[in-house]
Amino acid sequence: MATQFHELKERLLRAGVAPRHVRRYLSELADHFADLIEEEQQAGRNLVEAQSAALVRLGKTENLAKAFLEQRQFQSWCARAPWAMFGFAPLIYLGAAYLVACLYLWCGWKFFLPGVDTPFGALAAPTNSLANMYFQAGKFYYYSAPVLVGWTIGIVAARQRIKAVWPAVGLVLISWMGATARIQAGRTAVPRGLGHISMDFFRVGSSSQTISQSMSSAFLILTLAILPYFVWRLRRAFVPL
Amino acid sequence: MAARETNPNFMNGVPELLILKLLQQDEMYGYEIVQAIRGRTGAVIAIGEGVVYPVLHGLERDGALRTRRKKVNGRSRIYYLVTPSGSRRLADLSRTWVSLTTAIQAMLMGAQYGDAIP
Repeated sequence: MATQFHELKERLLRAGVAPRHVRRYLSELADHFADLIEEEQQAGRNLVEAQSAALVRLGKTENLAKAFLEQRQFQSWCARAPWAMFGFAPLIYLGAAYLVACLYLWCGWKFFLPGVDTPFGALAAPTNSLANMYFQAGKFYYYSAPVLVGWTIGIVAARQRIKAVWPAVGLVLISWMGATARIQAGRTAVPRGLGHISMDFFRVGSSSQTISQSMSSAFLILTLAILPYFVWRLRRAFVPL
Repeated sequence: MAARETNPNFMNGVPELLILKLLQQDEMYGYEIVQAIRGRTGAVIAIGEGVVYPVLHGLERDGALRTRRKKVNGRSRIYYLVTPSGSRRLADLSRTWVSLTTAIQAMLMGAQYGDAIP
């Protein structure tokens, strides 16, 4: 039965059914199958006969899949609108992640560097100080955000058996956004004024050096972000499930 | 629901009607529902055992059913219960079904179709 259930699972996922619905359907079918075997055994059949009778009663994989696919409301959003889920949503998530990074930086600036004009200057604090660890953690978060969003894209695409073109679009977009993200911080002219932090994206300088820098950053982010999805694709290609 | 729909939910709505009727009386899990339908209809209506779940999930999603997990004999079962909205849906479906069967019976008995529609 495991083979049939696996086939059903793959068919439903490839057709765009949301994984949570597939999981629940399969779990209920497995329970039902166990009940049918029990019933058939009580009717005097041995285990092998009971299993094949239960299988017939449960229905063919094709019919089980068809019955579920007729209910269009179980389609995931990734299947209904992949352009939105892999084109726009990752950019919004990455934007939100950068917003958190900006807030984190602003809090650190207020707390650890209250009189300094910018938080990007050299920090006059020992390496093991709290301030240094705080800013290093922020830096790590800032640089790893596009990679983490990329991993999320890969995991979602793998779980839902989405065509490779959609995660590829999402990964390229977030790599480019990550590579061209620039963060600026400065204090206003008003004495004791609030510090101002801003970001811009998708702006590439005109010099060949900045263009090649952005390209290599994008390539690096893409390479790291695509890794889990690439490994999953390789595994599916070479390891029989 | 209008009695003169051009494309009434005819055979397609039968499992839904039977399931709602059964669950209005008692909460049940999938296997029990299939056995009850078979038993109470004298096996005249035997719906595919596995295909009962998409119907149940669809009804749940529409708010006609709700579920609760219950541990029975060491196995976690999903029990289905009818909601107030499900009861209203059952009443609508029953009315449509009764109109249809009355009309069909009237046709079979030779009466005028128009007379049979309430």
